[in-house]
Amino acid sequence: MKLKLALSLSALFFASSLFAAPQVGQAAPAFNLTDSKGKSHSLADFAGKTVVLEWTNHDCPFVVKHYSGNMQSLQKQFGTDDVVWLTVISSAPGKQGHVTGAKADELTISRNAMPDAVLFDETGVTGKAYDAKTTPHMYVIDKKGVLQYMGGIDSIASAKVDDIAKATPYFSDALTAVLAGNPANPAVTKPYGCSIKY
Amino acid sequence: MTLFLRLFFFAVLVLLTTVSVQAETSGWVNASHLKAELVSDHQDVRPGQSFKLALHFIPDEYWHTYWQNPGDSGLATSIEWTLPDGVEAGAIQWPAPLAISVPPLVNYGFEGPTILVSELTIPADFSGSQLQIKAKVDWLVCKEICIPADASFELNLPVTQAAIEARDYKKLFEQASQHQPKVTQLQGRYDVQNQKFSAAIQMPEDLKVSAFFVSAPELVDHAAPQQIDWVDGELLLRQQQNTYFSQALPQFDLVLNTAAGPVLLQLQHESAPQVSPATLASFSLLDWLGMLVLAAAGGLILNLMPCVFPVLSLKALSLVNGQNSAQQTKTEALWYSAGVLLSFVALAAVLLLLRAAGQAAGWGFQLQNPFVVGALAYLLFVLGLSLSGVVQLGLGWMNSGQQLTQKQGHKGSFFTGVLAVVVASPCTAPFMGTALGYAATQPALAALAIFAALGLGMALPFLLLAWWPGLAALLPKPGLWMEKLKQWLAYPLYLSAVWLLWVYGRQQGLDALALALVGLVLVGAACWLWGQQQLQQAGKISGLIAVVLLLGAIALLWYPQPAAQQVAQTDHAEVWSEQRLKQLVQDGQPVLVNMTADWCITCLVNERVALDTDSSKAAMALYNLRYLKGDWTNKDPAISAYLRQFQRDGVPLYVLYWPGQPPEVLPQILTPDSLRQALEQLSSKQPLITSQ
Repeated sequence: MKLKLALSLSALFFASSLFAAPQVGQAAPAFNLTDSKGKSHSLADFAGKTVVLEWTNHDCPFVVKHYSGNMQSLQKQFGTDDVVWLTVISSAPGKQGHVTGAKADELTISRNAMPDAVLFDETGVTGKAYDAKTTPHMYVIDKKGVLQYMGGIDSIASAKVDDIAKATPYFSDALTAVLAGNPANPAVTKPYGCSIKY
Repeated sequence: MTLFLRLFFFAVLVLLTTVSVQAETSGWVNASHLKAELVSDHQDVRPGQSFKLALHFIPDEYWHTYWQNPGDSGLATSIEWTLPDGVEAGAIQWPAPLAISVPPLVNYGFEGPTILVSELTIPADFSGSQLQIKAKVDWLVCKEICIPADASFELNLPVTQAAIEARDYKKLFEQASQHQPKVTQLQGRYDVQNQKFSAAIQMPEDLKVSAFFVSAPELVDHAAPQQIDWVDGELLLRQQQNTYFSQALPQFDLVLNTAAGPVLLQLQHESAPQVSPATLASFSLLDWLGMLVLAAAGGLILNLMPCVFPVLSLKALSLVNGQNSAQQTKTEALWYSAGVLLSFVALAAVLLLLRAAGQAAGWGFQLQNPFVVGALAYLLFVLGLSLSGVVQLGLGWMNSGQQLTQKQGHKGSFFTGVLAVVVASPCTAPFMGTALGYAATQPALAALAIFAALGLGMALPFLLLAWWPGLAALLPKPGLWMEKLKQWLAYPLYLSAVWLLWVYGRQQGLDALALALVGLVLVGAACWLWGQQQLQQAGKISGLIAVVLLLGAIALLWYPQPAAQQVAQTDHAEVWSEQRLKQLVQDGQPVLVNMTADWCITCLVNERVALDTDSSKAAMALYNLRYLKGDWTNKDPAISAYLRQFQRDGVPLYVLYWPGQPPEVLPQILTPDSLRQALEQLSSKQPLITSQ
């Protein structure tokens, strides 16, 4: 009880930040970003579709792990008309992982990747709004624009390709559930990987 | 292929080669930006023994590896042991981590040479002549970029009857223990609520903690500011909760950076006690004992409150003036405590009697009488003047002054205690709301004991001062400084008088306030005349005039027309009334009721930081919330009755009505997002259906 009292007292003096973290079950933060071809996309454009956000940095070993085949097969598996897959790069200009539009397209082709668009978030505003911390970092937004999943791509935090088969595929399970109209379970997991170079 | 990837593959290739050396070290393994070895602190081991193994990392300058909780990104180093049957390896004994900032993220890890120690235990019946140890280690080394790597290490130690330490590596193990946090016996509990991590750790002395590290991953927002306070024997830690937090662990390790180096302790999870009004009505011994402790703690805190502090500073002054013997001081402290205690009990008795008589009375009610407020303002002003030297009320404030405390010795001490309680009463409401609310629903004797505990807590510092010779010895010798101190202490009194006058003004209006200020001038003149007379510079007639002036000042407090009931209006609040509330609730509107009073400091703070803010106003607009404010600055039976519905005898009280849900009482101390969070929670339970 003393704990409670003391904590309440300190609450008086605690300058809480007004930082609003994204929350599953709440509207996903809006964004308006330009893709590798110069076209701009905003979240509102995709109303009625399920949106996947995938934060990436092609040089990050954890991204390399999943682009050894896993990410491409996920993109293929879920690449229907109902799902929009957006790959997001938040590396700031001059920071590691920052690429040009041409280079991004080249990476897409050379890796046989098939995102609907590769978006640039050079200012980091969108990444910070989603509290994206690592690459890869996955999000699922349902047809109504409500955030349904955020976190890691799977359960084993490692850079080893062998672990993919052993891991629980959190993201894939979540997206499958959301497409079936069910809530993701778990809906929030630990993201792992390289830090995003804001 | 980028340089980065080349390095990565190079590292993996190099590391997959197993290095095997038959000695107390595995030999160095070179990986990109890091070299590593596995070392034993024994060159020969014996059955039944425990010994240590150190994984020694030397990364390139500015490169780092990660702690058990790596923070926002990164990966903790892990060791997978392959050991002979029966041999067991303990967990890594981590060195104290650093916070490595990569804005906007923060990681926890190690820079420079790093030694990770694990303890191995050999069973007593171990029969082999060799101990073969294999360790597969995974790590991530990062600067701007990250390079994951793994390596296998092997040690073969001879097993003999005489264990022999490896002398060459003694220093390395010494370094390792220097870098490890010191294990302490501190007890700590933590909780995660309202998107905040908070912990309280019993800590008899302030260890000057500068930072903390939680080993639980995804618990705190690593980059958020850490709030560290040491209050009353407890270290309080707070930090924003991590966005990816999902489950509170029953316990985890915590490292504190202190002035004397890092220390390690465990934090246990504590689920918040649920105090629902309904359960308070039945008497439970355990609850009651808890409440006694809470009340005593609250009483102790009261000493620091602005309403009490001025009186206390006067009392302290009398205790340090050194003119009393130790025995006298003890007696005085006892009389003072008796004054405090009995006043609390008397107030409680009055409160309970009034309740029994069906009166709508509440704690702090004496300040609802404007005359009492005005008279108190005068009183504090007079006391201030005496400290300033305008009038000599005696050698010390204690032995002189106004009617009640002017008696020498015991009586003076006793009535100082009484006065302290009278001026403390407005402060008790916010701090002791729970205990008071509880007491008010208990059998009379149990309730009186709660109030007595409150008084005991308040008197405690003086009892300690009187009984602890060491403490008394620490106090400086009397001298001129005391006179200066006395003069300085006048100013808190003047400020308290100003505050009381402000309350008076809010109660009675501007005209009445002006009259009270005239009264204050009369009081000043009276004191000055009185002082003149004391200096033998004025005749007896001055004393008479002084008395007339004082009576005049008091008469001015009977301003015939109290101002029309004015409620503190803010642009987004409506005046509370029972009917208006009923009507809104019937219409299916969400409603927030705020019961407040001008003399309630907590209420004002809450309004400033949590209710009258842009974000709360936005939340009110978003949820179409109606905001009703009830002002209890003056006595209002309707509000008193309303408070009692929620087992409260004082303000603040915040009640949130959501259609289809029982009314929810918000905490008495609000944080900036309390309201928003409560609304989000309620709306997720029961979405609002509007008729449009």
